[in-house]
Amino acid sequence: MLTNTALEPAGQDYVTIKGIKNGLVFKLADDVHFDKVLDALTAKLGNGSSPFSSGAKVTAFVDYGNRVLTPEIQDAVEKAFLAVGEIQVKVYQESMVEDEPVPHKLLPKAPYVYKGTVRSGQMVEHDGDVIIIGNVNPGAHIVASGDIYVFGRLRGYVHAGASGNVRAIVAAAYFEPIQVRIATVIRRSPEAYAHPAEMEFAHLEGDQMAVEKMSFLQHFQTLIMSDKAVI
Amino acid sequence: MGEAIVVTSGKGGVGKTTSTANIGTALALLGKKVCLVDTDIGLRNLDVVMGLDNRIIFDIVDIATGNCRIEQALIKDKRFDQLYMIAAAQTKDKLALSTSAMQAIVHKLKMDFDYVLIDCPAGIEHGFRVAITGADQAIVVTTPEQAAVRDADRVIGLLEAEKIPPAKLIINRIRPHMVKNGEMLDIDDIISVLSLDLLGIVPDDEQVIKNANQGEPTVVKPDSKASQAYRNIARRIIGDPVPLMNLQEQSGFFKRMKKMMGLG
Repeated sequence: MLTNTALEPAGQDYVTIKGIKNGLVFKLADDVHFDKVLDALTAKLGNGSSPFSSGAKVTAFVDYGNRVLTPEIQDAVEKAFLAVGEIQVKVYQESMVEDEPVPHKLLPKAPYVYKGTVRSGQMVEHDGDVIIIGNVNPGAHIVASGDIYVFGRLRGYVHAGASGNVRAIVAAAYFEPIQVRIATVIRRSPEAYAHPAEMEFAHLEGDQMAVEKMSFLQHFQTLIMSDKAVI
Repeated sequence: MGEAIVVTSGKGGVGKTTSTANIGTALALLGKKVCLVDTDIGLRNLDVVMGLDNRIIFDIVDIATGNCRIEQALIKDKRFDQLYMIAAAQTKDKLALSTSAMQAIVHKLKMDFDYVLIDCPAGIEHGFRVAITGADQAIVVTTPEQAAVRDADRVIGLLEAEKIPPAKLIINRIRPHMVKNGEMLDIDDIISVLSLDLLGIVPDDEQVIKNANQGEPTVVKPDSKASQAYRNIARRIIGDPVPLMNLQEQSGFFKRMKKMMGLG
């Protein structure tokens, strides 16, 4: 018993397991003979508490450290995993353990400014606010995760808050879009609509879309701020 | 070195071929050496409009595949010595002509001709891409209809992406009385959407259909309104500052309409 417990930690040190988002990383020591590492790995996988014993499908990323990777070594490792079950074995690369993407609202993105006419069939897509200095023609698409501002005639399809931001707005000097989407709410332009000679913007009130004169924007944003305080 | 101008529209049936035939003939009337090139492979009809369909021996695909020299495929017009055309192949499909082959053909034609007018097929696929390669300028033809304007807008975007200088616009088949009654898109509306320079407007004229069926471009008959419109367009192409027919033509037309209705 004593000898066993004394030996085991040393052997287990050769293989460390770490969980990442899309699987498990098996870090194999690169400063001892490979046979020892392989034994340690086999022991760990054969162990009843192995992460694969539950039967869950997990991808194994093997980190060989500085060890020179020969086909024999790779083969032996893969075999050790296959002895346990149908496990997908991949060579570990730094990029696989990137941090979880931070929700974009925490990162204010620079607005994208497009100068010129956006024509039918053309698409402007940006993660953040989009500013168009020019016309958006029928058949053109603008998609933004933030707000959309058109300094010209808006006659195309626009989708603000495309990644779910219900507070996004669509504003245009001449507001005549074919279709407006904010987050998941879709609105067609009314067939007959008397356009005031003033810049307008569309925003959401619950699941309804409203179009207001630009002078209302400040009030709208104050409402949003108070809304935020409640949340 | 001449100039290659592609006539395109996106939508079919707006008058690309008719415009190509008439502008080409009008340029020839002004003493320019002109070659018309039909790139609508599989659906050629520039030869029919020009009344030269019975003279085709070799076509553009024959040149591309090396079956003949360019000179052999040039069909001389029966009315003007300075006017030639190259027909499209009728039995092949669009893929029979590659962009590189088209570029080489256009480049060679530009050496011999003042103007090379390329009649583009409808659509924005391979045939369109082939037709616009090698073009120095583009003319976009549209009619006062929403569908045609929207397709024209799409095509203008594609031309811009290909780094072809800003296209010139021809608004074809205008019916002044319908525009006046607000039943047809207004010229200013179309220009405000497409934001292009207007090269000319062509009134809807039954004479055009009649002449096309006879294989006779309308411009050779100076009396019709459409003929005058195409002649003006040709003059603008060679850089003649013809007063913007836009309003003038319209008022002329309105006067005529009024006269017809006994108001003038």
